[in-house]
Amino acid sequence: MLNFLSNDKKMWRRHTLKSSYEVVIVGAGIHGLATAYYLAKNHGITDVALFDKGYLGAGASGRNTAIIRANYRTAEGVPFYEESLKLYEDLARDLDYNIMFSQRGHLTLAHTDRGVTGLRERAEMNQILGINSSMIKPERVKQLVPTICLDSNPHYPVMAALWHPPGGVIRHDAVVWGYARGCDQMGVQIHPFTEVKAINTRDGAVQSVTTNRGEVKAKFVVNCTAGHASTIAQMVNVDLPITTHPLQACVTEPLKPFLDPVIVSSTLHIYVSQSDRGELVIGQEIDPFSSYSFRSTLPFLEGAAMHLLDLFPCLSEVRFLRQWAGICDMTPDYSPIMGFVEGVDGFILDVGWGTYGFKAGPVSGKRIAELIATRKTPNLIRPFRLSRFYENDLVGEKAAASVSH
Amino acid sequence: MSRLSTPPSSTLVNRSKPLVFEYNGRRIDACEGDTVASALMASGVDILSRSFKYHRPRGHLCGEGHCPNCMMNVDGSPNVRICSEKVCNGMVVKHQNAIPSPEFDLLAITQKFDFLMPAGFYYKIFHKPRFMWPVFEHFIRKVAGLGVVDGKTPPYRYERQHLRADVVVVGGGPSGLSAALGAAEAGASVTLVEQDSFLGGHFRFQNPESSGFKKVLELEKQVRAKSNIRVLTGAVAFGLYEGNMLGVVQGRRTVRIRAKRVVVASGILERPFVFGNNDLPGIMLGRAVQRLLNLYGVQPGKRAVVVGSNDRALDVAADLLHAGVEVAAYADQRERINDSLESVKLLKSKGVALLPATTAVSADGKMHIRSVTLGPVAGRGENIRLDCDLLVLSVGGDPAIHLVQQGGARGFFEEHRVEFIAKRLGEGHFVAGDSNGVHHEDSILLDGRRAGLAAAQGLGSVDHAAEIADLESRLSANPAVVLNPKTMVAPDGSGKRFVCVCEDVTEKDVCDAIREGFDGIETLKRYSTVSMGPCQGKMCQMSAIGICARETNRTIEETGSTVSRPPFIPITLGALTGRNYHPHKTVPTHSRHAALNAKVISLGDWLRPEMYSNPAEESRAVHERVGLIDVSTLGRIDLRGTDVVKLLDKVYINSWGNLKVGRTRYGVMCDDTGIVFDDGTCARLGDQHYFMTTTTSGVDGVYQWLTSWMAGTSLDVCVTNVTSGYGGVNIAGPRAKEVLGKLTSLNLDSKEFPYMGCVQGQVAGVPCILFRIGFVGELGYEVHFPSFYGEYMWDVIMDAGKEFDIRPFGVETQRILRLQKSHIIIGQDTDAITNPLEANLAWAVKFDKPDFIGRRAIFEAKKQGIKKSLVGFVTRHGEVPEEGTQVMENGYSVGRVTSARFSPHLNKSIGLAWVPTARAKDGQPILIRSKGEWVIADVVTHPFYDPEGARMKG
Ligand SMILES: Cc1cc2nc3c(=O)[nH]c(=O)nc-3n(C[C@H](O)[C@H](O)[C@H](O)COP(=O)(O)OP(=O)(O)OC[C@H]3O[C@@H](n4cnc5c(N)ncnc54)[C@H](O)[C@@H]3O)c2cc1C
Ligand code: FES
Repeated sequence: MLNFLSNDKKMWRRHTLKSSYEVVIVGAGIHGLATAYYLAKNHGITDVALFDKGYLGAGASGRNTAIIRANYRTAEGVPFYEESLKLYEDLARDLDYNIMFSQRGHLTLAHTDRGVTGLRERAEMNQILGINSSMIKPERVKQLVPTICLDSNPHYPVMAALWHPPGGVIRHDAVVWGYARGCDQMGVQIHPFTEVKAINTRDGAVQSVTTNRGEVKAKFVVNCTAGHASTIAQMVNVDLPITTHPLQACVTEPLKPFLDPVIVSSTLHIYVSQSDRGELVIGQEIDPFSSYSFRSTLPFLEGAAMHLLDLFPCLSEVRFLRQWAGICDMTPDYSPIMGFVEGVDGFILDVGWGTYGFKAGPVSGKRIAELIATRKTPNLIRPFRLSRFYENDLVGEKAAASVSH
Repeated sequence: MSRLSTPPSSTLVNRSKPLVFEYNGRRIDACEGDTVASALMASGVDILSRSFKYHRPRGHLCGEGHCPNCMMNVDGSPNVRICSEKVCNGMVVKHQNAIPSPEFDLLAITQKFDFLMPAGFYYKIFHKPRFMWPVFEHFIRKVAGLGVVDGKTPPYRYERQHLRADVVVVGGGPSGLSAALGAAEAGASVTLVEQDSFLGGHFRFQNPESSGFKKVLELEKQVRAKSNIRVLTGAVAFGLYEGNMLGVVQGRRTVRIRAKRVVVASGILERPFVFGNNDLPGIMLGRAVQRLLNLYGVQPGKRAVVVGSNDRALDVAADLLHAGVEVAAYADQRERINDSLESVKLLKSKGVALLPATTAVSADGKMHIRSVTLGPVAGRGENIRLDCDLLVLSVGGDPAIHLVQQGGARGFFEEHRVEFIAKRLGEGHFVAGDSNGVHHEDSILLDGRRAGLAAAQGLGSVDHAAEIADLESRLSANPAVVLNPKTMVAPDGSGKRFVCVCEDVTEKDVCDAIREGFDGIETLKRYSTVSMGPCQGKMCQMSAIGICARETNRTIEETGSTVSRPPFIPITLGALTGRNYHPHKTVPTHSRHAALNAKVISLGDWLRPEMYSNPAEESRAVHERVGLIDVSTLGRIDLRGTDVVKLLDKVYINSWGNLKVGRTRYGVMCDDTGIVFDDGTCARLGDQHYFMTTTTSGVDGVYQWLTSWMAGTSLDVCVTNVTSGYGGVNIAGPRAKEVLGKLTSLNLDSKEFPYMGCVQGQVAGVPCILFRIGFVGELGYEVHFPSFYGEYMWDVIMDAGKEFDIRPFGVETQRILRLQKSHIIIGQDTDAITNPLEANLAWAVKFDKPDFIGRRAIFEAKKQGIKKSLVGFVTRHGEVPEEGTQVMENGYSVGRVTSARFSPHLNKSIGLAWVPTARAKDGQPILIRSKGEWVIADVVTHPFYDPEGARMKG
């Protein structure tokens, strides 16, 4: 009866490489997997191969802090992330896999006048676009999070907060595995430990991809390599306005539940949530230098501790269990780069995911799949085209001071 | 379990010094030197906790602070490993994760439903129907987690310390002591970091008659006698970070040590073994048993069975006999047991059955082990069952190479010794002794000395290559000792076979996960949660790898290991933070504002007066008479050299070549993407001397920016951040000249000292720098003086102004006054994608100078044309829309309000807003949505007050 709890069926199978695929996706993180999934599911395109140089989820999709929200700042960003949130709400059913989307709310704290203004800007924009998001007073913050101390840092007392009830966290690995199983079931081939070494073009169009396991032909090549997007784009001589920075995170030992919403404070450089396992998951801003290094730093751990104690002085005897780092491709306006690239037919970008790309996985996958199937750029992602950087048409998600997870 | 009648001479416990503490409301007697665990064991408490998932009873296991079994709440701190926590008088200790107690736990019912909880079960249920998930989740959250957070702030004091050393040796065991001595003799300054409260490592808790014990006592003496060795005990190195920085935690203190070289001599982490019911209380690792016997004088059981795989296990069995424990049998996984060893002779003489090629298959018992079933390692043949209340596992361990792995090294699997050895070490890193795979008693000492000398090589003047070579050859002459058995898993046996005690993951769970496709060590770990628990895989990683290799028909090397991530042990937020200071910066005139009863607010790190009376009164004073405001918080940067103009031309969008001595200019800085990030003035004080002011919060960034753009160039500029060296005030208003005139002999005539002029000279006898600028829109003098004259300057100016009815004004009035002039505040009126063309700063952009940061981007933006603009507005009905509200058109947001205030002087509500450029014309109506209401406003593209600037220039 309970066989479904434990079965022998492999989540995804191993394959030998075919000589050609219609679509080759570089990078099997959430973006690559979601793209393949919706290609197969929504458009019946299953002649798709996903290549990843590591194991599934080796990149940022296995290292992030899994915050999902739609309370963005711009008229372009909000509907985009909102569609993703809606897809996430239905994803467990869709994949028949419990990805543990925990919508316990998302709370952004303001500690300065300017911070309050920045949040009000978002609240107003969100409400105009129909997002459940509003400003709340410190007393309400205290109700939502009874253990928080609103003024233990005398410079930066909590003055107000942006409250976004549909936001929350998700089990990021489960999302990766669920999509992978879905892809596999529909006939998409997943190839872990397969590194793309070159992308070959002829007459301005993509021809094939060279990997450590051989060369395969491809009509479309999708770049879904958060953290390495510019190196992959270089293979077809496309320059991206991206700098790559490490972003670190850490967790504490598991504790009994005391924190429901996700808490973000850009002034104190901290965000924290409590996972279903009980661990506090903590992150800060990107490291200030650009690097491809995955090495953790002590200043990060100290900063995380100090800033967390500013909000929760009661946690001083709680212990950090583990810290790690990932890398993030940052764009100047903290918005992604998506779509076709002029001059390289068949090459598609789904990159520039910075510190915020996990929440965008489903919508990006769905819309990039649509773009491939229809050869047309969906309106929802048009604002994120590469050429916006040459057209002075940036999508200003980077407010003066924002934590953008 | 009880205390030994005569404690061994090696004991740490002073039985003549009694202590008491409370455990779950019960009074427990202890002695000085006891750990909480040793005292509890001596009092007969053997069930210390309940397991994470199944709530199975758990007892003392590793005794070295790693396993999760002994985690308790001690004096309000959750998750304290009581095996490593010394007893203090009056301590209050409570169990965790069991209701009502570890001995009787209602939640143990979950065991009955274990068939419902295979690996990853939660991914497969609870999500249907969708609305039920939050309900399930609520319950799941309740049962997860160990420690409790009650919202009370713990009363402890934390500290941070910074140290330096030539060589840091991590681990004060035999190899670490030898390494420290070696390095110190070679002239290095050495810091030795030891986790335990004592030195000597595992030799120290061997039988006091053993040769190892005697050797480390002698070594300790030598180490303590060396003046260039600093010893930190009770200190754990938890991270080896970039630049050889070691994070060390010592109780409630973090010590950051910068080392030139690092020797890791951190020994092995003893492993448990996978067999049926291998988690029962009464099953302990060999080192835990030796510690209890030889350090704490506690007898861990009455009748023991020892399962080993090396000669160290025989020593444990012998120690048990010495302590009067009956040893029912000694089983060894090896084919042969070396008869010539003293320990074997002893076992034989006491009639202990020696069983080679034998291992534990399963254990029985409900709350404590009652018997163990032993069987042949090969799996075929007779099993025997023996009654016992103690099962000792001494089946090897893993070299603790975590730190060097963090430092870049990789673990390579050594088939023959069945362990991962660190190779390709990072620069300046060394490994020694047990952690280097060197397990022979003499070799451990030699290897330590080798590493110590090698680490000190090149630091002093003497070359030790010859001795190092000699040590290496002696090392290779010694036999290689193997500690580990070939397999970590018993052949079949009944009962739950735990791989990971932290997470309650069994061998079956691991195999299930592998069958489902999680067959790489990284995915296996994430899916089955094996090695994700409080010990971070220290106790289970090797068994998991072994099982994964077995199930996928790969070698261990092919299977690989997961990456070790810091910290090596869990470490408290308090210790990492130290004392969490929040110092305020006060302006040099601070006491005067307090005396005037000003409302002082915190702006960034500064305390500043926001208001003295009210904006109407204060602004009237500025417009009609004269006002005084403290501007000490402005950033100030002093620039000198022959190339200052080149630097200014590079970092500002404005041009600086034609700025004359005695003049100042408003300047704007952009980053390389053309985004405005700071503004201020820059004055030319002398031929090659400039003085720059920046925004209050921007000064550190600007200073970094300047120095980073200087780096690598040969520009002759000396950049000094002099912010805190100066205080400053702004005297503003039509009578400002008269006030200042009373205090200085400087010629203030507008011809001599015009608008945008600057001079250096004395004011009230104090050397000052004066600018004539008009941020607030009236005739004004910004006076910068050495900061220690703050109170004096404030007083003399207020005094001189008395006859003009001078008024101090605060930040709030300044905000209104600057808004009347449409002067923008970077970061408030601009955001992270604002270019100067949009922000009405096009006049400042000088495309005709050679190059400046952001030029290319701004040029492109200009070509594309501007789509949005920052404009002023006046609301029609006097409403003040909240800052951050949106400008609407046809139901869409097309812009936003960045500043808005009521201006008492103009008797209007004014503000700044972003609007589509098409709307950026005087008189264009705009619609603002504020608090759900509509506010109509009209665009104003020039300053609201004195648009020609006649008043400030006058
Ligand atoms: C610490 C941290 C915290 C974060 N927190 C959040 C958060 O809270 N919320 C949020 O929404 N986002 C967050 N992010 C960002 C988010 O994780 C990423 O934006 C997102 O996972 C990107 O997914 P992806 O599929 O594009 O890339 P990835 O998951 O990085 O996948 C890219 C894959 O490409 C592979 N690859 C690279 N080069 C090659 C090659 N040459 N050949 C083959 N394969 C290659 C890599 O192995 C990798 O697996 C965080 C990121 C980090 C690092
Ligand atoms: S035993 Fe501690 S994590 Fe597995």
